[in-house]
This record gives sequence, structure tokens and C-alpha cells, in this order.
Amino acid sequence: MPVNVRTPFRHPGWRVGPGLLIAVGILSLGVAGLGALLWQAPLPDIATLWSNRYLRGVVTFTVWQACLSAALSLALGLCVALALIRRPAFPGRALLLRMMELSLVLPTIVAVSGIVAVYGRQGWLTALLPDWAQGHWNLYGLNGIVLAHVFFNAPLAGRILLQALEGAPASQRRLASQMGLTGWWLWRVLDWPAVRPVLPGLTALIFTLCFTSFAIVMTLGGGPNATTLEVAIYQALRFEFDFPQAALLAIVQLTICGGLWLMMVRRGVSTEFVSRRDWSQAIPRPDSTGLRRGRDLALLLTFWLFLLLPLGAIIVRGTPGLVSALVHPDQPLTLLAQATWRSFVIAVPAGCLSVLAALFILALPDQPGRRFGRLAPMATAVPLIVPPIVMGTGLFLLLRPSLGNSTQGFALVAVINAMMALPFVVQLLRGPLREISPATLRQADQIGLLGWYRWRWLHWPRLRRPLALATAYGIALSLGDFGVIALFGTPGQPTLPVLLYQQLGSYRMELAAGTALWLIAMLLAVFALFGLTDRRRQPLRPHNDGPTRAVDNHHA
Amino acid sequence: MLQRALTLSAGLILSSVVVAQTPQTLTVYTHPSFAADWGPGPAVEAAFEQRCQCNLEYVVLESGGDILQRLRLEGDSTDADVVLGLDTGTMETARQTGLLAPHKTDLAPLALPIDWQDELFVPYDWGYFAFVYDTEQLPNPPASMEELINAPDDLKIIIQDPRTSTPGLGLMLWMRSLYGDEAGARWQQLSKKILTTTKSWSDGYFSLFLEGEAPMILSYSTSPAYHMAIDKTDRYQAAAFREGHYLQVEVAALVASSAQEALARDFLAFVLSSDFQRHIPLKNVMYPAIDLGEELPPVFNRLIQPANTLFFDPATVAQNRKDWLNEWLNAMIR
Repeated sequence: MPVNVRTPFRHPGWRVGPGLLIAVGILSLGVAGLGALLWQAPLPDIATLWSNRYLRGVVTFTVWQACLSAALSLALGLCVALALIRRPAFPGRALLLRMMELSLVLPTIVAVSGIVAVYGRQGWLTALLPDWAQGHWNLYGLNGIVLAHVFFNAPLAGRILLQALEGAPASQRRLASQMGLTGWWLWRVLDWPAVRPVLPGLTALIFTLCFTSFAIVMTLGGGPNATTLEVAIYQALRFEFDFPQAALLAIVQLTICGGLWLMMVRRGVSTEFVSRRDWSQAIPRPDSTGLRRGRDLALLLTFWLFLLLPLGAIIVRGTPGLVSALVHPDQPLTLLAQATWRSFVIAVPAGCLSVLAALFILALPDQPGRRFGRLAPMATAVPLIVPPIVMGTGLFLLLRPSLGNSTQGFALVAVINAMMALPFVVQLLRGPLREISPATLRQADQIGLLGWYRWRWLHWPRLRRPLALATAYGIALSLGDFGVIALFGTPGQPTLPVLLYQQLGSYRMELAAGTALWLIAMLLAVFALFGLTDRRRQPLRPHNDGPTRAVDNHHA
Repeated sequence: MLQRALTLSAGLILSSVVVAQTPQTLTVYTHPSFAADWGPGPAVEAAFEQRCQCNLEYVVLESGGDILQRLRLEGDSTDADVVLGLDTGTMETARQTGLLAPHKTDLAPLALPIDWQDELFVPYDWGYFAFVYDTEQLPNPPASMEELINAPDDLKIIIQDPRTSTPGLGLMLWMRSLYGDEAGARWQQLSKKILTTTKSWSDGYFSLFLEGEAPMILSYSTSPAYHMAIDKTDRYQAAAFREGHYLQVEVAALVASSAQEALARDFLAFVLSSDFQRHIPLKNVMYPAIDLGEELPPVFNRLIQPANTLFFDPATVAQNRKDWLNEWLNAMIR
């Protein structure tokens, strides 16, 4: 064991300092953005909100569609995660996982075109419906909004819940197996305790994503009946320069989403669970045979199709453009290559930074009653809750003097992208990081396993896989980002998504479809790469506190 | 004031001193469709740099609204010398910021469908809003707004939201200019034909219209020029409406705090030269602001020629925009 005196980063300040700094930094950005609006003009009377029929409608609709979308996404995600844990040998499992990871990070305009190609008026699936049913099915309206939100978020829910379920302690799994527990009892004893700690944060995350959704709601919503608060804020700020109105609406959004986060964070923290992951081999679940088997397979197959069909449409549409770009290597190809390079130059540091920041934030002690207990989890939510355009104003005011050449511009975009990915990355890492039992922690304290070594020997072995996934998400989210980079104004050096929008704006629709396909291929490559390194490393796992046999080899 | 004039002239002297060693940089705030590799931006940059011995740099912001927003936030400390990409919908708000200076450019070469005498804004292109339709799905499109409004409800159209999109706002003004106070009632009739209202033109055009979701989409009368000249297809055409079409003019302006006023004015004059304008028709897919004569691509002669140009004075739009938006909203959410 290392000698305490020499241990790097041993001082308790290292555990609190950086995380606190990041949390305070993000919170002040949010405050600065909002403050900038309020500084321009005083806040109008809150009563105007309720006296205006339109605004009242906007708030009600926003909450309603977000509740519906979040509930369905979570329910479907949970069913899929349970089916996946019961069916570790499902043939398309690895591919399904990759697609689940991919759906969240797809650029909206691309995903929407895929969804429309499948469920729209001329859609593949719509065409299969009998005539009488075709008359009843209408994608545009609440149907489309919820469908698209489920497409984006159910896979995210499934992915995070699956990770939680896989973390259920072996002792309990063994017990459940021996006792032959099924149905309600199995859920009660094994699955519920495993998903409970991640559920509050996940719910808040998905609700907020649906609440602040913007382009999807407008494109598939049909008309101004489907308007979210975010649209109203955008309108007030970008077109009417009505700062007070924007501030008022932003405060309403902050109150609703922030309130939910606060509530969830409180619950999340209080669920301390007893014993933790101990890396034993997969233990057959008592409910993985018989009738359930067929049901699970049917569910997984349907879900697989649900994700694959829109992706298939994107592939079909994008292939001609991509092929012509590759076959005639002139300008488009060079641009594509340059944009790809630029995208990765921004996305890789952004992803790593985001994971690092998440680790620092999660390192903050968050037991109830402790200082900073709520500060950190709330801070990670800020990039989601504060409307980007408000946040952008804040950032702009804070960073304006230091904005210089394009290299600095790219660095800034990377930092902001890292911040935007933080809420997701934190959700992915929170469970695994919190899983270490108090007993193990006490033991580590006693033998003086602190600082760097504590991280290296206690946390790293447990976190390697979640870290790979979190980094992949961080990189992919940044790779697909359009909002942040467009907010700051970059010299004419497009990243992949910017290139895509430029092509769309200049009628290059076929090229744009090709670029979209290429972007998706890059996203997929990122997830596959991190999935791969993860699998290769499994057998090399250094000795740890559990049986040495690697776990979950089936997990690709 | 005096102090500012002093700083300004000091700045000018300094920058002219600097010119001896390094070329001046002219910073232009613009939006992506202008600066894109396919847009007119790169060619314009090359042409101007050749004649000015300077460096032209674009700062690309998401939309015309963002250019204005950025200018307001930066105020007098802005890096921008010229803003390019505002239009008749946003220029009045821009005028009210007081951050722009008179262009002093000779507007005689202009060839717009309306008379233009603005001292702050130099038009660089223009176009009509129009419904573009798919001839394969809809061989006989409505020939007037009236026909569209009275068409059977199974004729579906895609429009953009006037709160977030320029063509969307254009349609709102179009309706208002045709029907005045009746516009709300007309919108209610039209709403049954609206398949969906998208955030931006691209969302509707790429994700829905070209997927065949609806046979008609709100766009520009010049859109078919691109399809005909570059895509080599006559499939997508603009429907000519008897009542006339609403006009959009895109403009550039000089930023008052610019330390390189002379260079910026050179650029604004260059905007109205054929070296700038020849890149507009096929790269910005709009009409050039001057008469290009022989240089105008032939497909532009195959576009619809509205009999009547509809246009509100930008000041009127700025004054009524909020009320008209509310009128639209109330009609649509009923």
C-alpha cells in the first residue's frame, strides 16, 4: 500500500475544491444570463402570465406533453432494460445497445426526417395500415411529439436503467436465483432496489429534456397550439427583444424544472442502499425461462424495429449523397473531411472534460445535511434548465473580453459542450460511483487508501465501463451539437452539424442527407470504439475486492 | 461626443498607420446561408480582397435575428464593421438601436420592384415569398391565395412559424396586406390546410416537403431556380398567386463604431457592383439587387413574375408586429 505522506492529491481540498469550483461556475453562468436580462429591464408582474390565455396555454401544454413523454419513455425504457437483463444472449443485443446510445445524440432535424419517413403521411408503416386506420392516424400533433420524444429518450432511460440493473449485488442475485423468486417478489427484492437510486435523477433528466424540447415540438406539433415555453422564450429574445418577458418565462421554466430536480435530488440522496456491486459472474435469473422468454423477445424485437426503421430511412436517403461525395472526390469530400476533423478536435476534449468535471462534482460529499449537498446536483442540471439562449447571453457577457481568434473560439465551444453534456454524464456515473458500500469505504479509510490511490484502486476498477460509456456520450453529444457553436459565431470553419445546416440552407438537400449519414456513422464509431476498448480490457482487470472472474462478458 | 470623435479619429489614424505593415481586416457579421461554402460568401470575399488589399472576415451567426442581438449586446465595443443579413423584417429594430451609421452609397444602380431611399440600409438581394409545390403530387395548384384558402381541406401545406422564421413572418404580412383586419378570420380558414408549422425553413423543406409529406410549402419564388439550374429538375415549381406576392429585401449596413469606416463604405459600394451581385442568383437563390443583364442565369426568366408587389413599410411592420402576431396566434389556437 502506498505511503500516506506521498499520496498525490491526498488533501481533502482536492476532493471538494475542483468540484465546488465547477458547480459554482455553472451556477453563476445561469445567474449571469438571467441577471443580464433583468438588468436590461425590470421583471413584469407575474400576474400577466396567468391573465394571458396564450401563455397559460403554453405552460399547461409544455407540462402536459413533458409528463406524458417522460412517463412513456421511462416505462418503455424500464421494460426494455428488464428484458435485456433477462436475455443476456439475445442475438442483436450489442447492436441494439449501440442504437440505444445513438438515438439520443442524433441531430433533431435528421431524426425527425427519419421518423416522418416511417410514420408520416407517406411513411413506410403508415402505408401498411388498412385504409380505415390510415384515416385515423395523424403524426402531426401530440402523437408526433410524444412519439419523437420516446424515440429520443426511451433508449436513454433503457441504457441507464440497464446499467443500474447490472449493478445489482451478486449476493442478492444468488439469493433470488436460489429462492426461485419471480414476478412481483423478484422486482421487489432485486430490481427495484437496483433502479431506485437512479430513477429520480433519470426522471428529472428526461422530463427536462422533453420540457425544453423545441424544434421537434414545432415540426411535429402541427401549429402554435403545440408551443413550449422554450419557443416563447426564443421568440421574446430573438425577435422581439422583450427581455422582461423572456426573463419571466425563463423563471417559470426554472421554477418548474428546478423544483423537480430539487425534489428528485433530495430523494435520490436519501436512498442509501446497502451493499454493492461485487463483480461476480452472471447468475441466471429465475424469470428468464418459459413464457417470459417469448414475451421478452417480442418486446426487444419491436423496440429494435422502433429504433432501426427511422435509422434505416436516414441511411436510404443519405446513401446517394454520401456515395456521390465519395465517388467524385472534389470539393464536398474535402469539406467533409475538414469538418470531421474539426468536429473531433472539439468533441474529444469536450467529452473528456465533461467526464472529468462530472467526477469532480460527484466527488463532492452529498450526504443529506452536509454542505454543498444540493449545490452540486443542482449545478449539473443548470445547463439543461436554463434556456440555451439565456445561458448564451450570460456566457457572452462573462467571456466576451477573452474571445479572440478561432482557436480560442473552438476551445470555448468545447468547454460549453462539455458543460451541456454534464447532466447526462453525471447520470451515467452517479450510480456506479455511489455503489461502494460504507463498510468498504471505512476499510479504505483505515488502511489509508486516499487521494490518487483511492481513486486508482477503489473507484477505477468499478468505473471503467461506465466511464467508457460516459466518455462516448460526452464526445457524441458534442459531435452532434449545433446550438452552442451557432450561438457564438465562428469564422467560416464548419463542424459536421454546421456543415449539415449550411447545406440545408443552400438547397444542397442530397449532400445534406449524405452529411447526416456520415455524422451518424461517426457517432456510431465513437460508441463502438468505446464499447470495444471496454470489452478488451475486461480480462485484464486488475485484482479487486471481488472474485477475479470478469463479469458480463456478454455486454458488448 | 467630442471625446468619441477624437477616439474615432485616433483610431482611424492608428489604423492607417498600421496599414503600412499589415493589411486591414474588415469584419462582417452575417448568417450561415451567406457565408457557407456554397453561399456567395467565399467568392465575394475573394473578389473584394483582390480589390482592397485587405482581409475580409465573416463572423457567422445563426440568423439575422442573432446578428441584431449580438450587435445590441456588444454595443459600441463591437468588432463588426459591417452587418450583412438583416432584412425588411428586422431592419427597423436595428435602426432603433442607433448603432448603425449612414452608408452614403449611391443607390442608383438598384433594381428593386419598389423604390428604395434608405440612408442606413443597402439592399443586396430580394425575393418574393411563394408556395412551392410538387408538380407530381399537385398538377393544378391554386392560382390565388383565395383559391388556396377555399381549397378542399385535404390539400395540405407546410408553413413556418412567424415567431421564429423569416418566411413565416413573410406569410403573416402577406395575409395582412391582402385582408387587413379580416386576416384573423382568413387564417382560421387557412389553418385547416396547414399540416404543420415548422421552426425554420430547413426543417420543413428537408424533413417534410422533400419526403412528400405535403405537396406545398411556404418558400421563395426563386426556389425553383435552384432545382432547375443545379438539380436539373422541373419537378418543384412556385405557384403564382393572382393577388400578388409579398416582397423581402435583404440588407447590409455600416456599424457606427467601426474603426475602418472608409473600408466599410468601400465594401457597401462593392455590394452593388456586379462582382458581388453575380454570385447572388444561384448561390443565395435570390434576385440580385442590381440589373445583371446578360449575367442573370437563364432559369431566372422561367420564374413566376408576380403582377403585384405587396410590401409594408418596415416602420409599419415594426409598429404592428406584436399585434399582428397575436392576431395570428388567436386565430390559430382557436
